[in-house]
Amino acid sequence: MARALAGAGHEVTIIDEKVSAFDRLGSEFRGNMVVGTGIDESILRRAGIEEADCFASVTNGDNRNIMAAQVAKVIFKVPRVITRIYDPIREEVYRELGMETVCSTRLIADLMLDYVITGVNRSHPEPAATAAAAASAKAE
Amino acid sequence: MALVERPYVLIIGGGKVGFYLAKHLIERDYEVTLVEKNPERAERIEHELGSVIVMIGDGDEMAFLATTGIERAGVVVACTGDDEDNLIACQLAKRKFNVPRTIARVNNPVNVHVFTALGIDAPISATELLMGLIEAELGGSEMVRGVAVKASGAALVDVALPDLSRLIGRKISDIKLPDDALIVCLVRKGQPVIPRPEEIVQAQDELIVYSKSLDVEDVRRSLSA
Repeated sequence: MARALAGAGHEVTIIDEKVSAFDRLGSEFRGNMVVGTGIDESILRRAGIEEADCFASVTNGDNRNIMAAQVAKVIFKVPRVITRIYDPIREEVYRELGMETVCSTRLIADLMLDYVITGVNRSHPEPAATAAAAASAKAE
Repeated sequence: MALVERPYVLIIGGGKVGFYLAKHLIERDYEVTLVEKNPERAERIEHELGSVIVMIGDGDEMAFLATTGIERAGVVVACTGDDEDNLIACQLAKRKFNVPRTIARVNNPVNVHVFTALGIDAPISATELLMGLIEAELGGSEMVRGVAVKASGAALVDVALPDLSRLIGRKISDIKLPDDALIVCLVRKGQPVIPRPEEIVQAQDELIVYSKSLDVEDVRRSLSA
């Protein structure tokens, strides 16, 4: 997300507890990087949350994401706040409480289920065999 | 004879805090259920406390919480070592199960303010309390302890005056406080004294101030040298 947004010319700041996580962004990444936890007000302030138009919490901890998103929304009044939540039940609860959420588990389950029933893989319109054939042709 | 219902308290997290809290409440005849996700720890608590009901599960999971009788709890106390888990557990208790009062242990003191803003009735930071007590032992500056008065948004602030306080020798009526604060008691040598306007403040007095706002700092500032 950070790479795609920065690549599209947006000003991006990414927060992570581990410095090593920033390595994955690649050398072309032109956004800002802040080391720390995203539920800490002072870290968020240092990351410039007061000027942010959008805040997304996408760690692999549901509760951490929810807490960070609420801090962004309630305390810093960021206009657009999105949270990733793995647990579909938890997602439903917090949607009912007015949070914008994306549940990756439910999305993937829906895609898989769809493929099982319809035989169409919506995440890749082309069959895998086509991609494999193209790759081996290229290798030769 | 009318049956008085025992208050039901749901404790989430069976670490040291949760364990001793459960023990203490049972001794005072509360009905207690303790939620702990680690099965071994849960078993140990059950073995030691006997009369407490220990449930193994995640205190921040809706389906599990629904099996704990949470909807009839008067109070939910979330005291795990993770602030985000305590926050979510209390929010679910309050908003989904209509629990009247939620108390959360706050591990990182900077989160006290966040918890209050996000609707937790009583965020409690052991670190902050400890710092206040240690500061008092160090002497020098005035010691301040604030106690929130239930959910009213008011506070009782206990200020122990330092030896060099400029307030010593002054009349109570001459002490300037924020508009929404009032000195309600004076503690002198361990005894309560009614703070009449003409009472003169002495060294080592403690002032107990009632403040309509929770801004303990504000009260402290107005009383410091």
